Order: sequence, then structure tokens, then C-alpha cells
Amino acid sequence: MKRISYKNLLSCLLLVGVLAGCKKDFLDRKPEDTIVDANFYQTNEQVLAGSAPLYNKVWFTYLDKPSYGIGDGRGGTLFTGSQQIENIRLETKATTSDVYESWQSFFNTVGQSNLLINNLTKYAGPAVAENIKQHAIAEARFMRGLAYSYLTMNWGAVPIITNNNTLLQDTTIARNTPETVWEFIIRDLRFATENLPATALQKGRLNKWAAEGMLAKMYLTRSGVGVSGGTRRQSDLDSAKYFAKRAIDNSGASLLQSYEDLFLMKNNNNAESMFSLQWKYDGGYGAGNSVQAFLAFGSSITGFSDGWGGDVGASKFIMDKYEVNDKRRKATFMYPGDHYSYIHNAVPDPQNPGKQKVVELDVPVNSKDAATGEQYNSRAWVKKYVVGRPEDNEGKVLQQNTEINTYMLRLADVYLVYAEAVLGNNASTSDQLALQYFNAVRARAGVGAKNSITYDDIYNERLLEFAMESQAWYDLVRLYYWNPSKALSIIASQDRGGYRIVPDKVVGATSWVIKEDPNYNLPRRLSVTSANFFLPLPAIELTKAPNLNKPPVPYQF
Amino acid sequence: MLSPLLSAFGQAGGRRITGTVVNAASQPVAGATVAVKGTSAATSTTSTGTFAINAKTGDVLVVSSVGFGTEELKVGTGSVVNFKISEQASRMDEVVVVGYGRMRKAEQSSAQVSISAADINKTVNTTVEQALQGRAAGVYVTQNTGQPGGGISVNIRGVNTIGGSNEPLYVIDGVQIQPGTVQYGATASTSPLSSLNPSDIESMEVLQGPAATAVYGSRGTNGVVLITTKRGKSGALRLGYNYLYSLQAKPTILPAMNLQQFAQMTNEIRYIAGNGGQGPGEFRDPSILGMGTNWQKELFKTSPLHKHQLTLSGGSEATTFYLSGEYFNQEGVSIGSKFDRASFRLNLDNQTRKWLKLSTNLSYSQTDEALGSTSEGLINTAITMAPNVAVKNAQGQYAGADETNGVSVQYTPLNPVAIANLIQNTLKRSNALGGISADITLLKGLVFRTALNGNASWSDSRYFSPNYQLGNRAASIASLSLSTGKNTSYNLNELLQYNTKIDKHDIGAMVSHEAQESRYSGINGSRTGFVSNEVVGLSLGQAQGQQNGSYQGSWAMESYLGRLNYSYDNKYYVQGAFRTDGSANFGPENRWGYFPSVSAAWRVSQESFMKGISAINELKLRVETGLTGNQGNGGQIFSPLNSVGTPFGTGFLVGRYGNTALKWEQTRTDNVGFNLSIFRNRIQVEGDFYIKKTNNLLLPNPLPAYMGTNGQGAISTPTVNIGALQNKGYAFTVNTVNLDRSGFIWRSNFNISSNRTKITKFYSDVAVIDRQPWYIGTGSTASQGFLQRSAVGQQPWLFYGYVYEGLFQNVKEIETSARPTKSDGVTPLPVDPNGTWVGDIKYKDLNGDGIIDYRDQTIIGNPWPKLTMGFTNTFSYKGIDLSVLLTGSFGNSVYNFTRFQNTNPNNINLGRNMLAETFNYAKTEGTGASTVLTNPGGIIPRLTYNDPNGNAQRITSAYVEDGTYVRIKNITIGYNLPKAIVSRTKVIQGARLALGVQNLATFTKYKGFDPEVGAYVGQNVGAGDQLIGVDAGRYPLTRVFTFNLGVDF
Repeated sequence: MKRISYKNLLSCLLLVGVLAGCKKDFLDRKPEDTIVDANFYQTNEQVLAGSAPLYNKVWFTYLDKPSYGIGDGRGGTLFTGSQQIENIRLETKATTSDVYESWQSFFNTVGQSNLLINNLTKYAGPAVAENIKQHAIAEARFMRGLAYSYLTMNWGAVPIITNNNTLLQDTTIARNTPETVWEFIIRDLRFATENLPATALQKGRLNKWAAEGMLAKMYLTRSGVGVSGGTRRQSDLDSAKYFAKRAIDNSGASLLQSYEDLFLMKNNNNAESMFSLQWKYDGGYGAGNSVQAFLAFGSSITGFSDGWGGDVGASKFIMDKYEVNDKRRKATFMYPGDHYSYIHNAVPDPQNPGKQKVVELDVPVNSKDAATGEQYNSRAWVKKYVVGRPEDNEGKVLQQNTEINTYMLRLADVYLVYAEAVLGNNASTSDQLALQYFNAVRARAGVGAKNSITYDDIYNERLLEFAMESQAWYDLVRLYYWNPSKALSIIASQDRGGYRIVPDKVVGATSWVIKEDPNYNLPRRLSVTSANFFLPLPAIELTKAPNLNKPPVPYQF
Repeated sequence: MLSPLLSAFGQAGGRRITGTVVNAASQPVAGATVAVKGTSAATSTTSTGTFAINAKTGDVLVVSSVGFGTEELKVGTGSVVNFKISEQASRMDEVVVVGYGRMRKAEQSSAQVSISAADINKTVNTTVEQALQGRAAGVYVTQNTGQPGGGISVNIRGVNTIGGSNEPLYVIDGVQIQPGTVQYGATASTSPLSSLNPSDIESMEVLQGPAATAVYGSRGTNGVVLITTKRGKSGALRLGYNYLYSLQAKPTILPAMNLQQFAQMTNEIRYIAGNGGQGPGEFRDPSILGMGTNWQKELFKTSPLHKHQLTLSGGSEATTFYLSGEYFNQEGVSIGSKFDRASFRLNLDNQTRKWLKLSTNLSYSQTDEALGSTSEGLINTAITMAPNVAVKNAQGQYAGADETNGVSVQYTPLNPVAIANLIQNTLKRSNALGGISADITLLKGLVFRTALNGNASWSDSRYFSPNYQLGNRAASIASLSLSTGKNTSYNLNELLQYNTKIDKHDIGAMVSHEAQESRYSGINGSRTGFVSNEVVGLSLGQAQGQQNGSYQGSWAMESYLGRLNYSYDNKYYVQGAFRTDGSANFGPENRWGYFPSVSAAWRVSQESFMKGISAINELKLRVETGLTGNQGNGGQIFSPLNSVGTPFGTGFLVGRYGNTALKWEQTRTDNVGFNLSIFRNRIQVEGDFYIKKTNNLLLPNPLPAYMGTNGQGAISTPTVNIGALQNKGYAFTVNTVNLDRSGFIWRSNFNISSNRTKITKFYSDVAVIDRQPWYIGTGSTASQGFLQRSAVGQQPWLFYGYVYEGLFQNVKEIETSARPTKSDGVTPLPVDPNGTWVGDIKYKDLNGDGIIDYRDQTIIGNPWPKLTMGFTNTFSYKGIDLSVLLTGSFGNSVYNFTRFQNTNPNNINLGRNMLAETFNYAKTEGTGASTVLTNPGGIIPRLTYNDPNGNAQRITSAYVEDGTYVRIKNITIGYNLPKAIVSRTKVIQGARLALGVQNLATFTKYKGFDPEVGAYVGQNVGAGDQLIGVDAGRYPLTRVFTFNLGVDF
């Protein structure tokens, strides 16, 4: 072997050594464009920024389609031949997209609430005021409790999760019994009532009274859980009444004078709103309200290429319930020939062939009977939460994004909760305060007062007051808890078939005839049984988590 | 082992020697290397086979060329030296590029396949990956889309990871580039390597064996493709011009229903659904209608492709250079697609001192793409668009669906021709790649090399949706989105190499250190409300509602590696290598990964006992084993917070479960192989067998949705090291010279490979990982969307669904069969037209519980081929040569989602058109229990209004089609103008004309456009969401006719 010059070799190795010297932190790379959990939650503002999205994005996947597919479609207030047909026809299956999507959304709310509580406990810095930390935890528990109320009302037994991190490797978790889920919900909401301030920190945030109003509704619903003999639990009814009254008296909330004004974007967080989802039209996909995209009858009233709701409208069942003078009808559904001054429509411009002009909306009449020449529509399109074009809303509309808040609890709801709690197990009530609240809702709608109210009165009033607000189905669930046969018979009586709505005039109509579509040859009346009243667990979820097939167990508090 | 090259730093001097190189048939050999033995002086022959080089009397000139044997001649006193060289299937003394060095092919102990410039230039390649197809055993190349500049899936030896990218690492002149498979969004279909001009490539080496890939450590698991660009050679200046013109034919149109059929079916559904009882007035008598609009004919066109290329190379003894410029322009066969590239390259080498060599590479390119037709799903829309709509209306404006399409007019697609012309979706990318290196010879055999390479790229994408009115659909508010991205990276490498030869012992050692860093960042913004469609910038839109954002990040890796080679007497070879990588993707405790490999080879043919066997020229046995890794994506150890706009100000949600314990994914590969050359090297066979075992699979933990992991505002699942998989396979390459007689030469290359991937472990035996992207739902209820499943014991990403057992022929058959249930999940549907009825699909009751529900789904197809092959035949006679490339794939299934989606007769209710076969949907006669099918034997179910049986919603085996195909990928016939003619011009030294056809014919049973289906790359597809082997409106590959003219000056 030839001798190597050690001097050369050494200098060479030295060269390697010099160049090799990477800085110690060369391989330490934190994300540069996002904040990491461990560095956040150091100030009051950061803590509140951590709870803010619990008011919108986590609920989005539910809002987007299931809110009206399940909430109204299954409830009987919505009709369509396509998009939501499985729900409308009570054929919601384990594979129906709304089943999985709503399940996702509620558990996203649960998971994000849990992580926020966990992160605040772990990372909140000394600069964070204790009451702010508790405020955020209270918001998280409110949202979690509310999400569980939707979960158990749709699926019955569901798994209660309070710490997502410890569950990352666990595939054994079982569902918990509805009774214990309801106890969990009540506890979460009670915590919220005790830790939220009497005055909201920011407009639209929760306060103590919103939490108490929601708690009242939860008690009212729970009063039927696990009871027998058709009698609701009086202690829960009393709690519902108690908290509803406190919320009404202390919140300072008042009914908005005009029902139609409730659904104008400029009236977000109005005096009647107690808790509503807080959308931001330009906050990115998932932060805006998207329902207009699916419910508006056409792109001519959204301004964008969305507006896919031409096949979606009121059910004949709900239309038959409206009294002629009920102002809620026009604020909820568009009848042919209706005029809306605050929504604009792009129509062909006769002066300018091939061009369009934007005019105040006269709801078009699209169909004509070939034999009789009668003009009609086969859908009474949805109006509620359809807000129109950007120019109708100070520009706050983008494709699939508007900024109208979604009511989760408004004063009218608490009024009717109070009335129902007072009615309780009685056939009727003439309680003065109950009547006062009940009639306040009716008066605003322009319909006459009642002197005595029954369960059916309240059920009907809720249908009309909250149609297209994702309530009809849950009202049926609340009834089903304590009187399943009545709930099933209501469903079986609903006309879920096709119809024609014929206006007296094509423009500026003042009256309408609503009749069965003579060519609709599917059954008009459908039913569910106690076997399929609740939703099936999502099929995809069951393949990933066969543990959900285990029998439900009581939750250990 | 690198001694022949590295020690060759002497300078030659001497006088000018000229000559020609011809083959056995006395035809000139172009591009042959002529070198002065023992020096770095080298040149290459022109297209007429001539060369000029400086040499002294007594020097030995060596000629070599791919496919020929080497010849040596001593320079005498004259100034002309002529060579005649003979054809060989391959040469063991060829020097090939390997990771961090070069070696002679004979010395290789690892599995590696080489592809030369000559191979690459035979096909029309927009991008580099296309040149790999059919050329290399073990490499499964599928074109994801026929879109110009579109991306390609390259899988080397199967699927190596479930969670991340399976694309190989590309190393261009020493610079590592790992393309992210697919980016999310409107630019998903583009190729990350499209900036490289394939004509600049000298060779591509596909490293497959563990010993070859393990020197790339944590980035080598998916295989490594080493790309070497052309460099100059000293001698006469060489100026070449090449022009390519191609005509891309329209695809074969999938027959869709014509207007008469469409009208008739519309009338029928109106009758069934009862919306007025009858179709629109215009449809009352379908027989008087015309054929309507054939949207595919309107969307597709015959399109040209041009490429101009100019190269200048040459240099002095000390300095050589290669300079090239290219302009490439391709219009797609679908309106709204195109690809342009302008690129420039300069490679410069300088032997500054006897002991110092400096080299530099610089390249710059710009690509410009239009992506409208893929990003808007127009290929599928052209099938579904209603034929009663005209392309343009009477006023000459683009038309759209109107009320004649019924209450569901909103479901009628937008006019695809209009969208292709209106939507402006462009992507411009610039890429600068360059580096400088110095080779310092410290001692004889001891070389220190240091190199600094950098890459900078920018991209600009623009998406403009103007305001338009298409029938009843209006988008009256225009929107514009712009985004720009920037990537910079550098790689610093120091390497010390020592080679020596002591008697019969050849020893080589290499140590190296490497640091790499990359940074990326980008911003995007969008506005709406443009008053004019002549939009130039965001500032013309409304400030209100504007959206903007940015991203940035960085990655780094530091590595130490070493390699020892030892060989004895050119018979026995042993190599050991070790690499350790520290990656920023992991936390401090798991940061460093260790990747050892060893290999050995025995050249049996060099043994004395083989001397008598003259038929065998070379026989080499190889064995190797090694560890490689995969580091996945960065940032997975952290739990980041995502920003969300809220009325209270920007809010933050947890974006992902972090996993601080994340570590490397580790693959151990064992490989045995052989190289055999027989009959004077006229037949050469190379074979490899391997087993790869991957552990600690990096994959997203498939947590249930109850963990808050799905939908908007979800917490993404953590990336974990759970699971294992195994790949087993073999690959053979046979190169032959079949005939070499009277000037007629016939050569073949045949390669065949097989691979089977099996998942051996997940976090539990029942665990599955599904891909079920929302973007290919099945209409009104996307819940039954297509699903690909990975489960233990299976190959990854198998098709999942129901087993199709035909259509119910009569009532009795329904009554005795399992049926889907009512919504209670228990009671079978009634046997009547509102339940399961004659003409509905009969599903197989797999679990025998008497009902059909989601539990009756199973694996219904496998997208992975059992065998893939490539077969090239080259014939040459006098100045004419002919090359034919066949490619084939055997045993894979394709899910024809396009056909599934477009043979649903109920689509007529939505005003959508369908494939023509749908018109033969199941029709019945008789009433009640005596109802029977009038057209038995079809596969299309009956027309219903609400489809209770789920005919159109359940994914079934009926649309799993055999994806086996053999394709005549390319035929090229070329003619070198005779020297006698060329020389008269005085200006031109050589000229070549070539005519070719690409994708001439495909032999397949597949019913869609094209059985070659890679990953699905439509709009909104992320890398972890891609479907494999699913045809969902894929941009078809079409026949391409090419004319090529090359001139040397």
C-alpha cells in the first residue's frame, strides 16, 4: 500500500469538519405559519380567541345540510324530490350522508370543547384572568352539552367523551345510556349558568341568561326521558319553568316587533336572540352560513352560481297549517307571486336582449298545466335564511357564504318552553303568564290570542314559529320521549306528498290554492315505528369503531 | 472503483486527429464517445459519425457508444483514425451513475436500471416521468391524466407507505428533489417535474436495490431516479437544432344518448314521476327531433404540439460546455387545456488545475399551463350535458339548460364548452436550478469534492370565474383568485473519496456530510364583484368580502454517510454503506435514523473454470440487503391551531392531534439478482427478486369520527407509526441483438415485472383505512360515495362495494331473494314499484341474513397489476431505423366510475344525459305478480323516481372492469440523410427526419376512454385522498402523430 500523506489527509478532514458544523438548532423547525397549542392561551384575548370558533365552524357540517334535512325534513316541514329525499320520506339510513355529517359535527363540537378545556388547564399563562379562563371553560361546556343534546335526541345512546387525548389509542369505549347522557348535559349547562357573566363580554357571546334559557329547554326535554305512563317528570318540569322564567325576566331580551325582520342579516344578535351561531361570510369555508346555497331557488337571487334549492320547498303539511293572516308564512316560504322588496333577482332585460337586469324579487311562477293552462309552482321555495344577493346585504354574501346568524335559542322559544313547562302533564292550561307568553308569540305573527292552551296548541305554534329553524324534528323527539304513540301518529298524519300551489295572480298574488299534485304517485303519508324512530349509527363509523355495537352502559360521573 | 474517471485529470495536448465511427453495416454512429485513453480529453461523434480530437502519436483512442462494444486504436503518424464498432446488447464496462458517485456496470452489486438519452428521445415526452414508461423493469408508471403537462404516478417496486407519497426521490445532477405527489386544489393535476426538458437528459438511473437506495437513507424507500443532464465534450463546436411537430388526435368518443333518445326518456320519467305527467312540449314526438348536441365532439379537438430545441456544445481541453434552449408548446385535445415551456440550460466544466476541477450547472425554465378542463371536471360534463341544449343560442351566446329540462333544471350541468372558454385557470411556474462543485485531487486516488446546489421556484396561479349566463344559470358576480408560491432549497455536500488498487485488490472508500434546507411560502387572495370580465388584477374587484392568506414553512435535514467498496480480481465485490439522517420532521429523541446496507457480487464468468464456456460472456450473481426510511411530512409532531374567522375577531381551533413520539418509517429490503450475457454479448438478461418489509408505517391513525376527526372544524387524526406492510416481487430485463446481418440490425429490450403488496399489520386486525373522498359522490346522496379500503392481509386501496348479481327478472325472483331494507334497517322493502321491483339490481347477500345492507359489502376489485411489461424493438438498415415500443399491464381492475355515474337512468330526472347503453334500461311488461322484464339480459336497472332499491347509489362489482391492456405506445421511423447529400450543403453536417405515432393502438376489454388510469387528480384532491385505478372523467390519452427534424451544423 502506498503511503498517504497524513498532512494532506488531516487538512482535508479539517475541511470536512468546518463545513459539517451545522448549527445546533438547524433541525429544530417549529411551524412558521401556525400557532402551536403549547404557546397559546397566554392572554385573556388569546383565551377568548380559543373559544370563539365554538360559535361557528364546529357546527358547520351540521348546519350545511343536516340541519334542515333532519331538523325539518324528518320533522315534516320540508318537501323535495331530490337532495333530502331520504329524510323527507323517513328513509334515513345508516348510509344517509346527513347521518354521518351531523354525527361528525356534534363530535367536532365535543372534541374541540374538550381540547379547549384541556389546553386551558395545561397551558393557560399567569396573565390570564381566572374569570376569563372560567368563562371560556363555561362556553366550552355549554357547547358540549348542547352538542350532546343533539346527539342523544338523534341516536339515543352515545359515548360520552370528556378527554380526547386519553382516548387516542382506546378502541373499547361503549355508548352511554340516554338517562346518563341527559344528566351529563344538565351538568354541563349548569356549570355554564354558574360561570358565565350576566352581561355578555361581546355582542353575540353567551351570557348567564342564555345558558339558563337553554338549561330550561334541556330540563323540559329531559322531563320525558325514562318516564313511564305518559307522565313527564315534575321536578324537571319545575326546573324548566324556573330557569325559563329567570331567563325571560333577567336577560333583557324582547321579541322583535316584526317576525320577518328576524331573518335580515342586519338584525344579527337582535334583542330577541339569546344564542345564535355567529357566522362570518368572509371567514373562510366553514365559518360562513352556507344554507342559502342549497335553499335559494336559483342563482339569480344569490348572485353566484350557487342557489341549488329549486327542488326544495315547504311541505303541504306545514302550508296547510298557516292561517291566512300568519305573517310568518312569507318570512319562511316563498309562494308564487310573492314580492320581496329586500331581495333582488336577476331577470332577462327585455330592453337588452341577452342581458339581465336586477329587480326586486317577484317570485316566479314556473309551471303551466298543459290541459287547463293553470299556472302554478310545484314547490313553495324556502325563504328563511335565504338573504339574497351581496347588494341586498351590505356586500356580506359570497358563494356558499352569508353572514346571517343561525338561531339556536331566541326569546320566543323560551316563551314557548315556559308555556309547555307550565302545561306539563295537564290537558290544558290557562295559567296567566303562560298565556301571556304564548299569545305574545301569536300576536307578533298576526294571529289571534287563545284563552287556554293544550299540548297541540303549543306543538302547532312551535311548528309555525320555528319552521326551517331545525326544530320540528326535535319537538317530535321531545314528545316521543314521554308519549311515543302520539309522536308516531303525528308523523303518520303529515302530508309529505307532491303538490301544486296556484296563485290568484302571477305577480302580486294575494291568495293561493294548494292542492295535491294529481300526478304524484308515491305514498303521501309515511310512518316510522319505534324501531326506526331514532337515527341509525353511521355505517362508516361502525366499521371503524365496532365497539359502538356494545350495549350502552351508564356513564360514571 | 471510481479510479478510471477520477484519476483522469491529465491534459492531452497533441495534434488534431479526425475520423469517423461506423457500425458493422458501415452506417455512421452518432453520439459515440471518442476519448484519449488515460486522459480527460473526450469528444463525441456528430450525426454523421465524424469526430475531431487532439492526440499525440502513440496515444490510444477509445470509442464507446451505448449498444456497442468498445474499440481501441493507437494514433499513428497520420491524422485520420476510423473506427468500426459492433453491436452488443449491453456492455459491462459502461460507467453508470450511482448515488454519490459513478461505477462500472460490471462492479455493481445492487439492482439498478439505466435509461439512455437514445431511449428517451424515441417517445414524445412532455415531462421526464413519461420517458420512464415501458423502459424499466420494476417501475410502474401510470399517467394520471392526459392533460398536457399532467402528473404521473411512478411506483417503484410497489406501494411502500399508506399514509404519504409513494413517488420516488429524483436526484437531478446530485440535487435531491422529492415531488409532493399532488397538491390540493385547482392545480392538482400538474406534474412537479414538468420544468425539466427531457431532451437535456443524458441518462436516467432507476435505483431499486437496497444497497443503491440506502445511501439516500430516509428518502430512499420509494426508490431513487438519478437524472444526469448532458455535458459538453471537447473538440469541435456542435450546434444542433431539432424541431418536433405533433398532431394530437381527438379521443374516441364514448357514445352518449342522442336527443331523440334523451327526449323519449324524459317523457318516460315525467310519466313515472308525475311532474305534469309528460315531458316538455318540444319532446312530444321524439322522432321528429334531430340528434342534438354531441358535447364530446364539441369539447374535443385535434390539437398541435410544437417543440424547438437548440443545443450548442463543445469546448477546449480544459473547458467544456453544454448549452441548450427549448420552447415547447402543447395545446390539449380538450378545450381549455394547454402546456407551454421555455427552458434554458448551461452545464460548464473546467479543469482549472491539474488537481482542481470546477463544474457548474445552471438551468432556468418557465411553464405556463391552462388547467380548465381537468379542474372543472369537463370530460365528465361532456357526457352528462343534455343534448337538447345548443352550444350557442340564436344570439350567438353560450347557451345553457332551461325549463324544458324540468323542475330539476338546476342539476343540468353547465355548458362545458362555455366553461372551458370562460373559466380561466392558469398556472405559471418558474424554476431555477443550479449549483457549483469543486473536485480537488489531494493525492492520487484521493479526491475531495464539495458541492453547493440550490433550487428556487415560483408559481403563480390564477383562477377567474367571469360573470355569465348559461340558460337558467347565472353567475352575475365575477370572482378572481390569485396565489403565488415560492420554494427555495439548498444542499451542501462535502465528500471525500479514496480509490486505490493494490495488485488484485480494488479498494474504494467514501465519506460525506450533507446539509439540506428548504423554505416555502406563499400568499393568496381573492375578490369578487368585478364589473368587467376584462380583469387584470385584484384591485379591480370589491374590497369588501376579499379573502387572503399566506403560508410558510421550512424543512431541514443533516446527514453523514460513508461507503466502502472492495473487490478482488474483478471477480468478487463487496460493498457496505451506512447513512444517518437527522430530520426536522421528528422530535429530538427520534430525530436520527440509521440506514446500513451491504451487498456482494460474484462475477462467475471471470472464474477460470468458466473460461472454456465461450457462450457465456458475463455471469454475475448479486445479493444485497439494506434499510431505507421514509420521513413523511413535516410538522406532524406538533398540534397546530387553525385560524377561523369569527365576528369576535380571528379565532383558533386545534387543527391536529400532535404526536411528539413520531419516528421513521423503516423498510428492510432483501434482494438477489443476476446479470447474464451470452453469445458474444448479444443476449443479456438481468433479473432481481426482492422482499421489502416496512415497519412503523407512517400513517394517519384512522380514528372514528367521535374523536372529532371529520368535517369542518375537525381535529385531524395524528400521524402515527402503526402498521407494517410487505412487498414481494421480481423484475427481468432482456436485451438482445436478434439480427445483425448485411447491414440489417434488429435489437430488442423486453422488461417484465411483478409486485405484490400486502398489509401485514395495523393497530388492530379489524382496522381499516379507507379513502372515501367527497368529490366523487353519486349524485343526490353522496353517502354511497366510492370507497377504497386498506385492510390487514390485503393489498392497499382495494375497491369496496356490493356484489352485483344481475337484474331481477320477475316477481318470484324478488320474493325469494334478499332485498334492501326500509329505513328501520330490518324490514325488507316491499315487492312493488315503490320498493324492490322487476328491473332492480339484485345484490348478493354476503352474510346470509336475508337483507341487503351495508354489511353486505366486500372487496370487489384490485387496482394493482399482477404484471407489467415494456417491449421495445428497434430495426435499422442503412440510414433508416424503426423503433416500436409496446407497454402492457396485466391483471388489474379499473373502477369505471364514469360509466357507473353515467348509466344511471334516473339521471334523466335531473335533466342529465347518459351513455347510450343506458337507453336499454330494464323495461317491464305485465302487472302485479306477473310482471317480467321485456329486455332481459341488460345490466342497466329500471327507471324509477326515487330509487328505493339504491340502484344508482350502491357501488357494485358491475362496474369493476378488467384493466389489462397492451398498447402500441410508440412507433418511430427515422431516416438519416446520406452523407453524400448532406455534405454538399457545406453548412449542414447531418440531418435526420423521423415520423412517429404515439398511442397507436390499445388492446383492452376496458370500456372507458383508456385503461391506463393512475391516481385520480380532479379538483379538490389532496395527496392523502387520491383514488387509485378509478376512472372518474379522466382526461384521455390520445393518438399523437409526430414529425421530427434534427439538423447538425
